[in-house]
Amino acid sequence: MIIQTTNLTKTYRLFEKEAGLQGSIKSLFHRKYTYKTALSDFNLSVSEGEFIGLIGPNGAGKTTLVKMLTGIIAPTSGDLSVLGYYPNKLENTFKKQYAVVMGQKSQLFFELSAGDTFLLFKELYGISNEEYKKNLDYFIHLFGVETLLNVQVRTLSLGERMKMELIVALLHNPKVLFLDEPTIGLDAIAQRQIRSFLKEVNETRGTTILLTSHYMEDIKSLCKRCIVVNRGMKIYDGSTEAMFDRYQTHKKITLSFTEETAIELPQNCVPVEQNPLKSIFMVPLDISQEIIYKLMKEYSLSDISIEEDEIGSVVERIYNEGQVKR
Amino acid sequence: MKRNIRFIATLLKMKLSRMMVYRLSFFGGSLVDGSMFLLWLLMFQAIYSQVDSIGGWNKGQTIIFLGTFSLLNAINMTFYFFGVIGIPNKIRNGELDHYLTKPVNPLLRITFENMNPGSIPLIFLSIGIISYGASLLDITIHAATILLYVFFIVIMAILYYDMEIIVRTIPFFVISATSIERLEIAGLDLCMRVPGVLFRGVLKVLFYFVLPYGIMATVPTQILTYSISGDMIFISILVVFVFSVFTLWFWKLGLKHYKSASS
Repeated sequence: MIIQTTNLTKTYRLFEKEAGLQGSIKSLFHRKYTYKTALSDFNLSVSEGEFIGLIGPNGAGKTTLVKMLTGIIAPTSGDLSVLGYYPNKLENTFKKQYAVVMGQKSQLFFELSAGDTFLLFKELYGISNEEYKKNLDYFIHLFGVETLLNVQVRTLSLGERMKMELIVALLHNPKVLFLDEPTIGLDAIAQRQIRSFLKEVNETRGTTILLTSHYMEDIKSLCKRCIVVNRGMKIYDGSTEAMFDRYQTHKKITLSFTEETAIELPQNCVPVEQNPLKSIFMVPLDISQEIIYKLMKEYSLSDISIEEDEIGSVVERIYNEGQVKR
Repeated sequence: MKRNIRFIATLLKMKLSRMMVYRLSFFGGSLVDGSMFLLWLLMFQAIYSQVDSIGGWNKGQTIIFLGTFSLLNAINMTFYFFGVIGIPNKIRNGELDHYLTKPVNPLLRITFENMNPGSIPLIFLSIGIISYGASLLDITIHAATILLYVFFIVIMAILYYDMEIIVRTIPFFVISATSIERLEIAGLDLCMRVPGVLFRGVLKVLFYFVLPYGIMATVPTQILTYSISGDMIFISILVVFVFSVFTLWFWKLGLKHYKSASS
């Protein structure tokens, strides 16, 4: 196993203060702390070469897990081993074997070109000239960013910047790549490019990848295995396909009407938003085609959009099922 | 070691590149600091026109003291100050995450990533002040004394660095350390103007052993002017050693307490 955690737990002590000056004065003399368990008794085993998706709502504990696996923070209790190391010991030999990309925290120098950051990382990781050239050539061709190497980072688009973030993370051939929301805020084209790049890296280089994302498509198209985290606990660990088959049970339909319309929703549909010119509702997957066909026939529509169930709804269903079982 | 030196050289190259992008005024900071020390020099010139000695120190010694503090300040500004002052922010906003995940000592990278070549002229200005002070003394300064002085400048620059790191490691444990940073500024401000030999009793203990700003420029000055005892040389080396060990321990303890910021 390349990653192994047993009963991994992280608890934060939070300082609590009532609002206003009175609260501030009170807190001067009487400190009130609360404890928040960000991750609880988390067990995880990851084999070499796996591409694993980590999903869950905001505050579920995904980023906390990634931070513990990369040694940024220390666990409160439990056992943890990544590539045979205890991450929070922060040993350089360990750090040379993994990379982390955080969608919301850049490691590029904004005032300089991406090429300058690449050179710094070459020194940081002690990459030989030959390996550096080989890897850089490979990645810039794969991403098609040959013309952007010498451009000041701050002038790059978000998508271009993320490509550079990934290249800089992969220059030293890491065995494990941790990705925390790498596609956040990107447009559909950039997201697709990033996905195909990650797939290629996983397949051709055998890099083990742990990906957290809010985007269903990232997880569906990349990860064979998926872990769902909610309120610091693992509530699902298994095949991504099986999870979506079982828990992605609805589609979200948005209808826009050419004129004010009072729509009567068919049975089994759950309204989300209703107004005379627009109707949004959830419809069970198995009868969605039939219902869409019926509605198109009955009403005068200016537009229709069909979306997949959001990741939050899937998580909620898994969580609710777990509650019922208990 | 060799790898670290190569890494520091890369950081310096990148810093120079960044400065050139914005065509920053290389010498702006050193002009401000240089004028401050020149003003103090003028102040002491005025005082010494009325008295022959202050606390047993003549005009030459006091000018060497001023030049020495200016030199320490210039070394601080050139090499590590602009890197070190960013530590509290990096702790608070989670920027430290990236430093912790790279295979180089995070403190080394932070320390040298913002070197400021613009302060180099201040080093030469300080050497000028020290030479002027030495020319006022009626003594011959031997090469060995100059070497010992240089050694003490190096270790006092380390002590200066230690003090800056200790203060900026506190945000690992508390929400804000602004008041402690103010205490640092006040202590430095006082000890830059008042030679340590003037402190007595509690103040001497405070500025020699608790906030050892008092020995930083005083001890090298005493070495250059042959007015120091062997005991004091030993004690100051011990103080630097203890503070350096404490700094590294305290930083490591801080890293263990690092909570990162939520993304």
